[in-house]
Amino acid sequence: MNSPILRALALFAVVLAPVFASPAEGADAPIVIGATISETGPLTVDAGYQIKGMQLAIEAANKQGGWLGRKLELKLYDDKSDPGTAVRLYTRLITDDRVNLVVGPYSSGITQAVAPLINKYRFATIEPGASLPDIYVAGNKWNFQGTASSLQYLDELLPIAQQHGAKTVAVLGLKSAYSLACYKARLEQAQKLGMQVVYQTTYSLPQPDFGAIALAVKNAHPAVVIGCTYYPDAVGLTQALHDQGFAPQFLAETIGPVEAAFGKAVGKLGNGIVSNTSWWYNYKTPGNAEFIADYKAMFHEDPDYHAATGYSALTVLGAAVTATKSLDQEKLREWLLHNQVQTLIGVFKVNADGLSTGFTQHMVQIQNGTIRLITPPDLAEAKLLVPYPGS
Amino acid sequence: MLALQLLVDGVLLGGTYVLIAQSLNLIFGVMGVVNLAHGSFIVMAGLFTAWFTATTAASPLLVLPIVLLVGFGVGAVLQPLLLERLVRHGRRAELLSLMVTFGLDYVLVELALQIFGSNYVSVPYLQSTFTVGGVTVSKALLVAGLSGAALAALLHIGLNRTPLGKALLAASQSATGAVSCGIDVGRMRLVAFALGVGLASAAGVLLVLVIPMAAESADSLTILAFVIIALGGLGNYVGVAVAALLLGIAQSVVGFYFGGDAENVLPFVLLIGFMAARPQRFRRAA
Repeated sequence: MNSPILRALALFAVVLAPVFASPAEGADAPIVIGATISETGPLTVDAGYQIKGMQLAIEAANKQGGWLGRKLELKLYDDKSDPGTAVRLYTRLITDDRVNLVVGPYSSGITQAVAPLINKYRFATIEPGASLPDIYVAGNKWNFQGTASSLQYLDELLPIAQQHGAKTVAVLGLKSAYSLACYKARLEQAQKLGMQVVYQTTYSLPQPDFGAIALAVKNAHPAVVIGCTYYPDAVGLTQALHDQGFAPQFLAETIGPVEAAFGKAVGKLGNGIVSNTSWWYNYKTPGNAEFIADYKAMFHEDPDYHAATGYSALTVLGAAVTATKSLDQEKLREWLLHNQVQTLIGVFKVNADGLSTGFTQHMVQIQNGTIRLITPPDLAEAKLLVPYPGS
Repeated sequence: MLALQLLVDGVLLGGTYVLIAQSLNLIFGVMGVVNLAHGSFIVMAGLFTAWFTATTAASPLLVLPIVLLVGFGVGAVLQPLLLERLVRHGRRAELLSLMVTFGLDYVLVELALQIFGSNYVSVPYLQSTFTVGGVTVSKALLVAGLSGAALAALLHIGLNRTPLGKALLAASQSATGAVSCGIDVGRMRLVAFALGVGLASAAGVLLVLVIPMAAESADSLTILAFVIIALGGLGNYVGVAVAALLLGIAQSVVGFYFGGDAENVLPFVLLIGFMAARPQRFRRAA
């Protein structure tokens, strides 16, 4: 090969060959599972737990020899809490990285953006971070809900509040996919129960200051304040309500209060806040005790329900792969549609749209700096403290 | 009573805005530097304050003078390193400073992510309120608002009553005229930037007492500062202070009656209106 052009072309081919080569397949090649996660951005606190749950599940599976005799490998990208970025990254995972399987991202908003892509490429995908039911009834046939519906968030609160004599409600909602669904569901529930909605508003992040909203809430004198939130606005609203000197009989926020960081951010203001969870330490679900111990050993912190849903997503996917003895997406999809899987957070089962019919949400409350499970009665760790003290 | 509550809340909110804006007003006014990294200095200081107070249980107000001085020092290092050399490019210097500070913003935000992580943080300090004449006042917001306004007032007094301050004002009004009066304009640019970064850092310490803050908050704070300067008038320190207070009050009222989104969009609506009506407010003196 004397020609410099031929030598250059040969060198070019050698350098670029790996780019065009298919990922290694075969009995020894790892099964690569792709996902994005919000390592940065407003969703990072909650998303961080989800990915740790997934990492723990991968570790646990690999200790047992993996799936189909092959080790598992997680390929992750940071979607920066941005739907557009997540769509680009899932495209990359599927078309460039050629992953074998995918798991959904954190949050309904990002999942909603990614779902049509999943549909297009026909990947049977468990969605651990997407509580919004709309995703699954919009013709996205390849997405399977891996968590309880956002319509259930805090749905146990208003009937209980009514039993305590509460008659008025204020509902606040962050303008994101899941929280708007939760916001509308709580408004409808209040009206069905005959409770008066005295104030309602939505807002977007970043919200520089919640003072005006908190003053409007105070001015309306609701007995119950429900915030359909993520972590940053849960902190902001809690502080702002206190700054206005207002403590409703019941203060509830959906996402945020169960995170350890929330307690550090708001201090004693968190005491008495009600929230929701789809998993708890004392659930009598298979492998729950081992999950808690292994999570603490691996990450040196307590898990939360986002970690449990991340872990459960891999449990379900693993069950499907093992049962079908295959990575074929059609076979996996069919199996997921017609089978149930016991997970940490309850029973995975879906209807024909892929919407969960098995997972549920329950209430928790921060009491003296510790989060206590309040419902269901047979698992409750403490009684609901009323009223919210505000300090 | 409601009107008074809205006024008090708005004034205190505006007090936190005053320092955010005046620190950038100083930099933009004297140097003509469009400092797109302004918000990242605020955020770095806020995140440091949250970390420091969580680690040591110290009062954030003890951190304030330290952060201000460190910010001054950082500004004093960065200005000659990154910005002073752009001056020799004449008219292109403003555009070049835009690009340099754009890059600096990315570097500082990434540094904040690496050091402090991406979580939103806040400081549970002075978590109590008091009531005066039926108006509820948050102690944290009161301290933050008054401290911010006080520092901005000190800046204004310093600019108008001290030889150094008068030299800074002279350099901002006319570099040529200042040189002819024997003022070292290069040194004034250094002082302005260092002081601006120091005061922005102080603003970060105060802001984290009242709102959750994360590395990604930087850009929205930079935009807020530019909006207030545009409303108040570039180089007009009294005007910017008034604009900050009025914006705080306007946001308080609009947020109460129309919700969070209307409150968020208000600064930009006002900016569009003012720029369309009075674009000369955003011109520096030649």
